[in-house]
Amino acid sequence: MDPLAAIKVTFFQECEEQLAELESGLLAMEAGDTDSEIVNAVFRAVHSIKGGAGAFSLEALVRFSHVFETALDLVRGGAITPDQDVLKLLLRSADILADHVRAARDGGEVDEARSHAMAEELEALAGGGEGGGSAAEADDGFGDFDFKPLMVSFDEAPASEAPATEAPVAEVAPEPSGRSFIIRFYPQAALYQKANEPGLLIRELARLGEVAVEVDGSGLPNLAEMNPEDAYLGWRVTLTAPKADIAAVREVFEWVEGDCYLDIVEPAAQSAAAATAAPEIDATQPEVDVMALIRQAQEAVIPQAAAPAPASLEPAKAASPDASKAKEVALDAKAQAATREAGGSPQTIRVDLERVDRLIDLVGELVINQAMLAQRVAECGLQRASSVAMGLDDLEHLTREIQDSVMAIRAQPVKSVFQRMPRLVREIAAMTGKEVRLVMDGEGTEVDKTVIERLSDPLTHMIRNAIDHGLETPEERVAAGKPREGLVRLAALHRSGRIVIEIVDDGRGINRPKVRQIAIDKGLISAEANMSDDEIDNLIFMPGFSTATTISDISGRGVGMDVVRRSIQSLGGRITISSRPGQGSTFTLSLPLTLAVLDGMVVTVAGQTLVAPLTAIIESLQPKSGDVRQLGPNASVIAIRDTHVPLIDIGRALGYRQNSPSPTESVALLVEGEGGARAALLVDAIQGQRQVVIKSLEANYRPVPGIAAATILGDGRVALILDVDAVMVPKPLERAASGPSAQTELAAPAPSLLKAG
Amino acid sequence: MTKTILTVDDSRTMRDMLHLALTEAGFRVVQAVDGLDGLEALDKAQADIIITDINMPRLDGFGFIEGVRGNEKHRATPILVLTTESDAAKKQRARDAGATGWIVKPFNPDKLIDAIRRVAA
Repeated sequence: MDPLAAIKVTFFQECEEQLAELESGLLAMEAGDTDSEIVNAVFRAVHSIKGGAGAFSLEALVRFSHVFETALDLVRGGAITPDQDVLKLLLRSADILADHVRAARDGGEVDEARSHAMAEELEALAGGGEGGGSAAEADDGFGDFDFKPLMVSFDEAPASEAPATEAPVAEVAPEPSGRSFIIRFYPQAALYQKANEPGLLIRELARLGEVAVEVDGSGLPNLAEMNPEDAYLGWRVTLTAPKADIAAVREVFEWVEGDCYLDIVEPAAQSAAAATAAPEIDATQPEVDVMALIRQAQEAVIPQAAAPAPASLEPAKAASPDASKAKEVALDAKAQAATREAGGSPQTIRVDLERVDRLIDLVGELVINQAMLAQRVAECGLQRASSVAMGLDDLEHLTREIQDSVMAIRAQPVKSVFQRMPRLVREIAAMTGKEVRLVMDGEGTEVDKTVIERLSDPLTHMIRNAIDHGLETPEERVAAGKPREGLVRLAALHRSGRIVIEIVDDGRGINRPKVRQIAIDKGLISAEANMSDDEIDNLIFMPGFSTATTISDISGRGVGMDVVRRSIQSLGGRITISSRPGQGSTFTLSLPLTLAVLDGMVVTVAGQTLVAPLTAIIESLQPKSGDVRQLGPNASVIAIRDTHVPLIDIGRALGYRQNSPSPTESVALLVEGEGGARAALLVDAIQGQRQVVIKSLEANYRPVPGIAAATILGDGRVALILDVDAVMVPKPLERAASGPSAQTELAAPAPSLLKAG
Repeated sequence: MTKTILTVDDSRTMRDMLHLALTEAGFRVVQAVDGLDGLEALDKAQADIIITDINMPRLDGFGFIEGVRGNEKHRATPILVLTTESDAAKKQRARDAGATGWIVKPFNPDKLIDAIRRVAA
């Protein structure tokens, strides 16, 4: 990549970080945090975005961030009080800024009208607070900076006749475009203290044309009186520059303005001006009382200082307490940094994701290899206590640890998804006219990057639903004796090797009679179905179910809860709902921490080795003859304690065999599908339980009905990982039985293909 | 001899841009992410020129410049401040703290090198 393009990529990454910082800062302020460092961080975020945007000429982004920055600067300076209204405005501005950043990155469009209106609101806010702000600026030692060179009276008139300054001779003559200039330049001590060098300035002048330089050492005192920190020398430079104008000459001295006495004269122009303004003055007269000039200049710059020596010493003296103060500041900041580091602001490096994935793949191979080796050694009949076997145990332990550590590299906090939600909540609240408070917990909870990326859509949809369907209007809430403001809580936590995400609202809860009626109307359940409350609640996840009587702008974007459930399932996750009428609903997502490994039960079916995901298995049992009831040629149920669940022969479901073996000679795995439905899966035998590395069938072969993925076992054989939900649903089974079966598709070629992949 | 430039900026984008332009122009570049980091970098290595941002966490540009000027070793090191056109008051504050000159953002490599030339022998 061209280096500038690479920096642009960095810029947009950094923008995202700064937008996150901006939002969390504003939210903290909204919650009442008054730490000035937060305001500073908020300002810096916008300032940085503006700076980078300027470098890449992203004009719309620069314009908006400039207006935003101006308002934030006034908040920072105390001219604007960040009350709730102001913070709401700033938060909405942050949203628009995010739109601008993304439009600049992806080449999309920003809602111009909205952005414009927002910018006007910000300007109005800034305008309201500006009075105090500019006053503060004026106090900022700005007067010194605006120093105008004192005009020299060449007839040696006393300084009291200084009003002649009002006719700056050189400046009245922008034309003709310069030929020759006489520059008188007398540095003050401050110039040297800022590491400026007269020699360099004269070198700059020399770039404009030919220079003749004379040093004026007449100001030098006796050595005994000399202060090495002070400035005594002056220069008179005659510049012959056919192409330069006076502005170019002035620019050379831009950085030392106020730190020197400077007089630039263009004799030709001056004589012209002098001819009209002061004909009696002989402008070319070279005799000038230099010391008088210096004194005049110093008096003009530092009026309170009578004598030159104290005036120039003063800054030097002032410098030391300032410096020690700076040290204090530095030490203070250092201490702060140390506490921050202790609080966990770890150092990071940026690594290409491909490298991490390659490492994960390799570690996966290592795990397989280690398992194969262990199996071979076991086959040799070595004692468990033999040094080889013990060494292998250590190897297994280490391999496992390496695998966990490598997986952890891909893990990221869910914050990156969570932080998009406040904006979503604001927008939906505005659209629905509801008042919503979003509380987030456990944003630091980590999960695999892929899981995070694919969580965004389902979470977005569920938050939408929670506000649109879950929460009541403020009036309804008040009538029900609840606070006007509805609460939505989004929380993440780790629980038994999985990440659990909860979306809780304190709204009206699921209207069960209505849900049940809709399900009956849509033919999803029979009118006589005897269902528990939980089962009714979970009907909303069924395909084709939608409770919205009118399709609102918010939830009715074409996806229902069944799509949410499917996307969660595709991540190996589960989603459930529990609801209390009038008090709210809780959606619970449970997801694996990684998509790369799976805890599985290895089973044998019709001579094939399969892996069933352990998360789906509730228990395994040996069916007794009286427990199984045949319901038809292709359907049977098994009694497990007080309920009956369908009994499904995996061998037949996957097309491995036509006739099922006797259930009493098989093993049944009681499984629970993602929707909570249960079934017993019939297998021939259980081999054991182990963690397997998931290899995609889609990527290495092609999708196979009833199979989720593949893995390689310790002995090098390929085993297919069962898609429990697919085998539980009748439809795919029929297809699997009538179409090309998993058996015929995979019998011969699959192992080598998969191995190669 | 190759000159060493210390760049102090909390923005990765800016650091990368400075690094690209300065190394292309033949300078050696040392980077720091904020004022405090910059002072620490100066404890370890001498810089011939310093380029610093103003708005930074932990220790801002003003504090950093004062810290540099307060150290005998770096009193004569030119310091250029990265600033925007609208920051007239900040320019003055930076000068008061001891800045040698300034570079107005957004800068292009020519502007940057030009500014360095003006302060470096």
